Amino acid sequence: MDNARPVEEMTFREASAELDGIIRQIESNTLELEDTLKAYERGVALIASLQKRLSEAEQKVDVLMGELSGQQDDQIRDTTLS
Amino acid sequence: MVSRGCPTTGVSPTVTQNNIYESGENSASTALSVSAAMALAKRSLESVTVRMLGEVSEVSIKAGYKAAYFTVKDSSASLPCMMWNNRYRACGVQLTVGQMVELEGRFTLYAAKGRMNFDVFSITLAGEGNLRLKVANIAKKLQAEGLTDPARKRPLPLYPEKIGLVTSPRSAAVHDVLRTLRRRFPVATIYLAGVPVEGAQAPVGIIDGMRCVVNAGSQVVLVVRGGGSFEDMMPFNDENLARAIAACPVPVVTGIGHEVDTAIADMVSDFRASTPTAAAEAVSPSRESLDVLFQSQADALATGVRRIIAAQKAFVERASDRPAFRDPAFLFASEAQALDTSIERLNRAMPAVLEKNAIFIATARQRLVASGPHITEKPQAELSRNAARLDDLSPIKTLARGYSVTRDENGKIISSINQTEIGQRVIVSLADGRLDCKVGGIDEIDLFGRNKEINHG
Repeated sequence: MDNARPVEEMTFREASAELDGIIRQIESNTLELEDTLKAYERGVALIASLQKRLSEAEQKVDVLMGELSGQQDDQIRDTTLS
Repeated sequence: MVSRGCPTTGVSPTVTQNNIYESGENSASTALSVSAAMALAKRSLESVTVRMLGEVSEVSIKAGYKAAYFTVKDSSASLPCMMWNNRYRACGVQLTVGQMVELEGRFTLYAAKGRMNFDVFSITLAGEGNLRLKVANIAKKLQAEGLTDPARKRPLPLYPEKIGLVTSPRSAAVHDVLRTLRRRFPVATIYLAGVPVEGAQAPVGIIDGMRCVVNAGSQVVLVVRGGGSFEDMMPFNDENLARAIAACPVPVVTGIGHEVDTAIADMVSDFRASTPTAAAEAVSPSRESLDVLFQSQADALATGVRRIIAAQKAFVERASDRPAFRDPAFLFASEAQALDTSIERLNRAMPAVLEKNAIFIATARQRLVASGPHITEKPQAELSRNAARLDDLSPIKTLARGYSVTRDENGKIISSINQTEIGQRVIVSLADGRLDCKVGGIDEIDLFGRNKEINHG
């Protein structure tokens, strides 16, 4: 836990996977109390980071071929939902 | 082709004529009523199912009618048709004048008017049949190769951070996908390959686009387009595209059209979504589910830690309840007991020891007391003897016997005549006082006791 990677450097999937592992570890009750508290701290940091990413992310679109046209307005109705 | 209990390869003249002959022979002598004759004809007509191709020339579809009425024709004939509403709705074709249609049904007679028409069982748009056959053959081939095997289908990544999107860049579909991903999982980067999705070149373009987004690092690829006719969808039935999808190194999700029809691309893809939006949803976790997930994970963490702390606390409490901690004396009870025993033994032993000592001391004291007088006897005798001697030697005694001591003025004893001279003042001490004298003369005494006057003042 001590040499864990900084949360910011991890991908969403990696952070999520580590979080899963931490929860399993804590639930299995195999850790020392000190390690449990460390794991808990790490888990909370991971959750906070994941939530932050979701709420602050700006969608990035890389147009590799062709030319994207038309508006990208969230207000217009989804054509497939009508 | 569908068969409805009768040969479907067209009108069978032999059968029909046989029926007529049979009827004719049976009724050679008797004239039939019109109704009977019409019933005879109706039975004959309805005994065969016919498939025909024609152009729609008139259409009459009205709300109150039980059937759709229309006419089909070719260059030299026309035929009134009717199709019961339930069948018409089921066939999925919207009839319009000028359409080439393939009909399946039977001839029938409307006896009241003596009119013949065609009772239509099913309609398909002409040409589509060939296409469908072609598609079905490709599907069969790919199926035989195992490319549509459900076991080949790969699970989609849970949190794809790089999503490839291959579709027309000028379509509602592209925005449906982008909007859905933005709403649900804005963390992901979208690699868009804008390609034509209609026409003969579409399959090649789509394959190119897939390669492009995969090379960019996409973890999953969406191949989508909006709704259209069966013919519009033909690029997605392309065999090469199907093989490219099957060979794609990352999972492919198809979202093609609104129709219930399944394109071949759908059959070989790892996940088939019914629409572009559904395809985007398939590769993205929803915000709501993530929020719920994070909350439950936070709860699980807290609960787990609380449980562990409670368990540790219970352990400490149990431990502190053990005799060793509850009553520290317990720890050295045996030592304390040993000490007590020792004290008791000591207490028991002490008086005896003391008594012995006391007796010893008492005896010693007695002996000391007893021997006390004997110790002073000898010194006392000595002291008496010495005192007597001392008394004997006392100058006072000598003086008392008539001797005197002469001193000069300084108190110095004069023991020789040589120490004095005539006229010198001397002090003579007697036993009871002193005389202040002046030397009037000096006589030396020789060894024989004779005085010899030396000098006289």
